[in-house]
Amino acid sequence: MSLFDVFKRAHLPVSRRFSQRPSADEELFDDDFQRKLEMLAMVSRRVFAGRMRAERRTKKKGSGVEFADHRKYVEGDDFRYVDWNIYQRFGKLLVRLYEEEEDLSIYLIVDCSSSMGFGDGKKFDHARRLCAALAYVGLANLDRVTIVGVSDGELVRMPATRGKGRIFKVLNFLRELEASGTTELAETLRMFVAQHKRRGLAVLISDLYDPAGFEGGINMLRFNKFEPFVMHIVDPREARPELKGDVRIYDCETGDERELTVTAAMLDKIGQAWEQYTQSIERFCASRQVPYFAASVDVEFEELILQVFRRGGFLR
Amino acid sequence: MHLTGLPLSTLLALGAVFGALTVALYILKLRRRPVAVPFSRIWQQVLRDKQATTLFSQLKRLLSLLLQLALLALMLLALGDPRTTQNLVEGRNMVVLIDASASMKATDVAPNRLEVAKREVTRMVEGLSGSDRMLVAQMDASIRPLSTMTNEISDLKSGLEAVKASDTRADLRRAMSFALDSLRGLGKAEIIVVSDGALGDLEPIAKELDLSKVKLSYVKVGTSSKNVAITEFSVRRYPLDKSRYEVMLELTNTNDEPANVELTLLGDGNVVDVTEIALRPQESLARFYQDLAGASRTLEASIKLADGKRDDLPADDRAYALMPERRRARVLVVTEGNTYLEAALLLDEYLDVEVIAPAQYPPAQNFDVTIYDAVAPVHDPKTGPALYLAPPAEGSPVELGRSIEMFGFDSWDKKSPFLAFMAMGDIQVAAGHAFKPSKDQKVVGASELGPILVSGTRAGQRFLALSFDPRNSDFVLRVAWPLFVLNTVNAFVEEDTSYISSFRTGQVWRVPAPSTVDIATLIEPNGKRRQVPVKEGRAFYLGEHAGFYQLEAAEAPPLRFAANLSDLQESRIAPASELALGATKAGTVGDFQVGVRREIWLYLLLVVIAVSIVEWVSYHRRWTV
Repeated sequence: MSLFDVFKRAHLPVSRRFSQRPSADEELFDDDFQRKLEMLAMVSRRVFAGRMRAERRTKKKGSGVEFADHRKYVEGDDFRYVDWNIYQRFGKLLVRLYEEEEDLSIYLIVDCSSSMGFGDGKKFDHARRLCAALAYVGLANLDRVTIVGVSDGELVRMPATRGKGRIFKVLNFLRELEASGTTELAETLRMFVAQHKRRGLAVLISDLYDPAGFEGGINMLRFNKFEPFVMHIVDPREARPELKGDVRIYDCETGDERELTVTAAMLDKIGQAWEQYTQSIERFCASRQVPYFAASVDVEFEELILQVFRRGGFLR
Repeated sequence: MHLTGLPLSTLLALGAVFGALTVALYILKLRRRPVAVPFSRIWQQVLRDKQATTLFSQLKRLLSLLLQLALLALMLLALGDPRTTQNLVEGRNMVVLIDASASMKATDVAPNRLEVAKREVTRMVEGLSGSDRMLVAQMDASIRPLSTMTNEISDLKSGLEAVKASDTRADLRRAMSFALDSLRGLGKAEIIVVSDGALGDLEPIAKELDLSKVKLSYVKVGTSSKNVAITEFSVRRYPLDKSRYEVMLELTNTNDEPANVELTLLGDGNVVDVTEIALRPQESLARFYQDLAGASRTLEASIKLADGKRDDLPADDRAYALMPERRRARVLVVTEGNTYLEAALLLDEYLDVEVIAPAQYPPAQNFDVTIYDAVAPVHDPKTGPALYLAPPAEGSPVELGRSIEMFGFDSWDKKSPFLAFMAMGDIQVAAGHAFKPSKDQKVVGASELGPILVSGTRAGQRFLALSFDPRNSDFVLRVAWPLFVLNTVNAFVEEDTSYISSFRTGQVWRVPAPSTVDIATLIEPNGKRRQVPVKEGRAFYLGEHAGFYQLEAAEAPPLRFAANLSDLQESRIAPASELALGATKAGTVGDFQVGVRREIWLYLLLVVIAVSIVEWVSYHRRWTV
């Protein structure tokens, strides 16, 4: 048992510490998952330590702890920052300048609409795992991590938090999320930007099945100075559903119905339409310099996270 | 076009009901299964494309319904059994009599006449029209129907496969009677005789049968008449020297040309004699082989043409005979002493005679025959059938009547095996009794004063009782006396001089069997076993095949016997070109067209199946949905 496991168990109620059969949500973030989070955090630091350094550091000099430069004393400067050693050696009044550090705000926006839980709910589970992984990496880097669940035009928010030790709060929050309601990205993210004045990295984790169009939500982030990062959750099975014969299809979110007879030729066309839709999202993001990442449910989440790291744009 | 099945009104009613049901089921079929999709917008583009073809889709759906209604209409039409007007004529009712007699084994046509006859009938069966009906029957010594009166080709064909040739003559009279009975009351009746025409004398048959209401047709089978036959074959042992035997054999050349044949006589499979005999055209030649010695049990005669070729009918080239078994009969004589009796028994060297005093009866051993001389103890069945000479009143198998004097045999059963070759009228008796036989006892000889020789059954064993002491008559001084004693012993042990060495096929055989059983097992020459009934010591069986048979009954030793064709009528295999029964002359068979079935409903059903397949394929390939 790892230290992480001990720590985790200590946070559980007594009745659950020795539970032999974890619930479905517990299985979602089981011990194995949490060990993988630790690994991802270490790998992220080791792999990207050189390349990504200072990418997000501010150029402002201020009251940090890391020395940056000297400048001449002018009236009004705080005497405490005068470098008296320099004055003693050279007789000049110089003031020490330090790099002012700025913590990054990461907003992990999870789509909690019905389409995310469609079928066996694999997309929603995948989205929550990815969210947890990104949150852990962010927390490990002492970033301010905020998680927001969006559905039915409403927000469910976990307040900003920092530090690796808060991961359990994140996990508990994600466990309690449910996939239901409609996808209204533009409206929901308008509320989001209104409530979060502190700009930062906004990772949108969604299947982007928005009847009103995915563009509105992403643009809402862009236009309000957030740095959007689109993590598109895709399930290839939706490109070729196992349907045959006479059926009456209905949208799991909107309930729109349509009668049709599914043939092999029609399934081919459905696959093509799904591909076109996915490609249109990718093209949109590329044209607007929005980092886009397609996360297939068939790929393990740790592999996906590493791909995100390699691609850049998430960690500093 | 006419409907001969269900009437039109019924068909319309059925059509309305099932048509409505079909439409209802069709509508039900259109209720679709609800299926959720994650994002209907993706389907929009595809559905928009489909919108353009909606009208065509509806038409295709309609086509599916129309196909199903067409299926229903075709099935209802099939139930109506439509017929064309020209096919509404009344169908023929035919009885086909296939000659399966011995002459049909002739090989003048390949492979033989019977197979050619079956092919002819098969052709007729396949050419039956829809309204024709046919019954196929095998005609030999008996008549054997092989199908019902039907138009089912498969039934008729399977019946034809069962036709097998026998070694008997064809009984046309019985076959025609059967055919007429089968066709009684049916329209367009026809009797078709498929034969080589070797059917014996037809005049008596023509007089018996009324052929005015049926059409008689004849299909001739066979081409040539080259045949030499064994028409008689018999063998017997000499009564007083059973180590020797004589053979009678008759050969017949049914050809119009002389023939040289090689005759081979086999005893137990070993050659006994080989003779070459020249026969003139149509000549029958009898040959006797006398005083032949040997221990053989089975005799077989075979002939073949001297030039090495075979004649057209191999079935009559062999004949079989079985000689009476040479075994010693054990005879028990219970007497105080009777020189005449003992002297008579000494004449047959194949008798083992044991004489005992009445006090020593019953003995420990078994005997085949017991002779009681003036005594009548309680009969022990293990001492076999019994001859009683002057039985006393107490213990007599036949009730004794009054005493009579100076009498003789005034009447006697001349066919009785006990009295064969005997002249009883000269016998004079001084004193004796008259019998008072019961109803189940048979009087074999009687004087004017009452029965004096009676046969019957006692304790399951046969007996013969003589009411007087032969020593009180001149019977013992006559030749008839030893004959009487030996006839009685032979009759009891079934070795009488009238022993039949072989039976003739096509007749009902009366084979000696133990009188204590009702059923015996007969093993045919081909090894097939069958149960035969036994009545009064005879097993009855209609024999159809030549060869050696064996009869098994209860604990009695198995009895072997032989059977031969020995029928000149069947050996004359020249096919008759025509068949005439009195004034009725058989014509040729009518119209049989292979492959034509005039039943439209069959084709309608085929169309239904085809349309069903089209509907099924089109539905599952989504062409009509």
